[in-house]
Amino acid sequence: MRAPFRLVFEQRSETPKYLAAVVPIASVVAALFIGVIFLFATGYSPWETYSNMFQDGFASSTGITDTLGMSTVLICTAVAAAFAFQMNLYNIGGEGQLYMGMLASTWAGLALGPHLPTFVMIPVVMIIGALAGALWILIPAYVRSRLGTSEIVTTLLLTYVAANFINHYIYTSGSYFRAPNTMFPQGRLVADSARLDPFGTTNLYPTFFFVVLLALFLYWLVKKTEYGYKIQVISDSPRAAKYAGINANRTTLSVMLISGALAGLGGAMLIVGPVGRLDPGITALGYGYAGIVIAALARNNFSAIIVSGILFAGLRTGGEKLQISTDTPIHIGVMLQGAILLFALGGEAFRRYRIKTIRTKVVAQ
Amino acid sequence: MNDNIWILAIANSVTLATTLMFGSLGALFTERAGVLNLGVEGVLLSSAISSFLAADASGSVWVGLAVGAIVGALLTCIHAGLAVILRANQIVSGLALVIFGTGLANFLGKPAEGKDVVTKLKPITFGPLTDIPILGPVLFKHDIITYLAIALAIGASWYLFRSRPGLELRATGDDPATVDAQGLSVANIRIRYTVFGGLLMGLGGSWLMLAQSAAWHQSATTNGIGWIALALVVFAGWRPMRLIFGAVLFGFTLQLPFTLQAEQIDAISADYTKMLPYVATLVALVALSRPSRVNALGAPRALGTPFVRDER
Repeated sequence: MRAPFRLVFEQRSETPKYLAAVVPIASVVAALFIGVIFLFATGYSPWETYSNMFQDGFASSTGITDTLGMSTVLICTAVAAAFAFQMNLYNIGGEGQLYMGMLASTWAGLALGPHLPTFVMIPVVMIIGALAGALWILIPAYVRSRLGTSEIVTTLLLTYVAANFINHYIYTSGSYFRAPNTMFPQGRLVADSARLDPFGTTNLYPTFFFVVLLALFLYWLVKKTEYGYKIQVISDSPRAAKYAGINANRTTLSVMLISGALAGLGGAMLIVGPVGRLDPGITALGYGYAGIVIAALARNNFSAIIVSGILFAGLRTGGEKLQISTDTPIHIGVMLQGAILLFALGGEAFRRYRIKTIRTKVVAQ
Repeated sequence: MNDNIWILAIANSVTLATTLMFGSLGALFTERAGVLNLGVEGVLLSSAISSFLAADASGSVWVGLAVGAIVGALLTCIHAGLAVILRANQIVSGLALVIFGTGLANFLGKPAEGKDVVTKLKPITFGPLTDIPILGPVLFKHDIITYLAIALAIGASWYLFRSRPGLELRATGDDPATVDAQGLSVANIRIRYTVFGGLLMGLGGSWLMLAQSAAWHQSATTNGIGWIALALVVFAGWRPMRLIFGAVLFGFTLQLPFTLQAEQIDAISADYTKMLPYVATLVALVALSRPSRVNALGAPRALGTPFVRDER
C-alpha cells in the first residue's frame, strides 16, 4: 500500500523573518487548543478556565506583578539551560542545581546573616547559591569533558539526589534548617539582613531587574566576546574548533559550570526574595524543568528568554490562582508547557524546510 | 542479620526490575533504530495513571494494562512524528514529552487522588515450586507480567541478532543510508520501533501502577525510574540479555532502603539510602565511559541523528 502523497523537505537557504515570530505564537495557540480538548473532555469549561488564567496572570494589577515576580526565577533557570544548550550540552538537571543553590544560600542566610549587614549579605548569599549550583554540576561536567559521559542522564540523576537532600534537611527533627516548635515541618526563616524588600505590597522583588540585566549580559557575552565566539565555533563545527586550537574540553567544562551556577543563583533568588527559607513545596514547582521549556521556546536566545519567561510565568500564576479559585487542576499549566514545546519543535521544521506534498501516481492495475 | 529479609530483598529486586526491563527494552528498540527517546519518565507516568483509571472503571486489571500500553504508544507517536518525520531535535522533543506526560498524568490523576489501587495484578503460584527455599520466592512467586518481561528480553535478543528484521533494525540504527539503498524505508522502520518501544514503556508503567503501587502518588509514582531505565540501556551496551542482569542489579538498589529499614539498620538516614539507585546509576555510567570511544560501548552509530537522503 502506498500513501497518495509524499512529503518533500526542501532546505531553506534563508528563513523568512516573520516565521521567527509566527512559530512561537502558533505553538502557544495550538497548545491552548489541545488544552481546550482536555478541559472539555474532563468536564471543565475551557473558556472560563482560560479567561480566568489570563485575568489572574496578566490582566490584573496583582496578576502582572505576581507574574513578573514569578518570572524572576524562571528567567534565571532558562538562561542556565540555554547557556549549555547553545553548545549542544544538555544540562537538564537545573532543577537539582537550583535545590542545592537554595540549600547553600539558606545556610548562608542562617549562619552568616546575623553577623553581616544587608549590602554585604545579599551578594554573599547569591554567590554562595551560585557556587553550590556549580558544585552540583561539577561531576557531570568533569566526566562529560574528560570521558564523554552523557550529561543528560547524569545531571538529571543528581536532581533526585538533591531532592532527597532537601527533604532530609526539612524533615529530620533537630535539623539546622528546620524551624523549631512547629507542628508541621518547615524551614527556619533566614536573617532579615539576607532578604530584600519587595516593591510595596507586591510579590515583585528587585531581583527581577537583576535577572533581566543578567540575561542581557549573557547575550552580550555570547554575541560579542571571544569566549562567546569559541562557544559558537565548537557548537557549529567541533573539527574547525580543533584546527583553530580551541580547547573544547575546557570550554565544555566552563560552560557547564556556568550553567549550573546560573541555576544555583535561581535558588538563591528564592531565598533573598519571596521564600526566605528551605521550603518543602519547592520540589513540586519544577522551576528547573520550566526553564528548559522557556529556553527552547526562545531558541536559546537570551533576550528572547526574557519575553518567553514572562509569558510562562503568566501561565503559571494564572494556573495557580485557578487552583485556588476553581477546582481546575493546576497541572493543566504544566501540560500546556509541554504541549507548547512540542508544537514549537514541530514548527522548527517549517523554519528550516519548505515542506511540499507531492501526489504520487497511483498506477492502475 | 535475618536471612529471610535478604531472600525477600532479592525476590523484590526481580520484581522491581520489571518496570525497568519494560522501560529500557522500549528504549533499546527505539535506540537500535537510531531514535533517542528521552521521554520514558513521562510515558511511564501517563500510562500508569491511565491504567489505574481504566482498571478502576472496568474492574479488570487486563483492561488497565492494555489501556496503559496503548497510551504509551500514542504518546510516543508524538515523538516519532517530531523526530522522524519533522526531523526535530530529539533531545528537546524527548524532554518535552517528559514535561507533557508529567502534566497530563497529574491532570488526569486528579480523580484518582486518595483512592487505593483495588484492581491489582496477583502473583502466580507454582504450587510446590513456590515453596522451595530461597529459589521459590526468588524465581517462582512473581506475576505474569514479570515473566513476560524476562521472556521479551530473551526474545528481543534472538530477534535482534538472529532474525532478518532484527538485522534491518540494527542496520537502521547503525547505517541508515545502506538500509535506504536496500530499498527499505528508514522512516517507516524508525517510526514502527519508536511506537513499539512506547508500547513496552506503557506496559511497564501500567504494571508499576497495578502490581506495585498502593495508590497514585503523582510524579512520585515513578520517581525517576524512567531515567534509570535510560541509563540501563547504556549499562547493558544495547544488548537485551545484559539488560536483564542490569535491571535486577538496579532493582536491588531500588529496594535496598526498605530492606535496611526492615533490618533496622538506621546508622544511615533513609533519605540517604534513597539516593542510592541514582548514585549507583551515575557511577555505572561514568565507569563505562571511555574518552573518544563512543562506539566501544555498542551505541548505534546513527543514534539521535535524523536521516536525510541526499535528494537532488
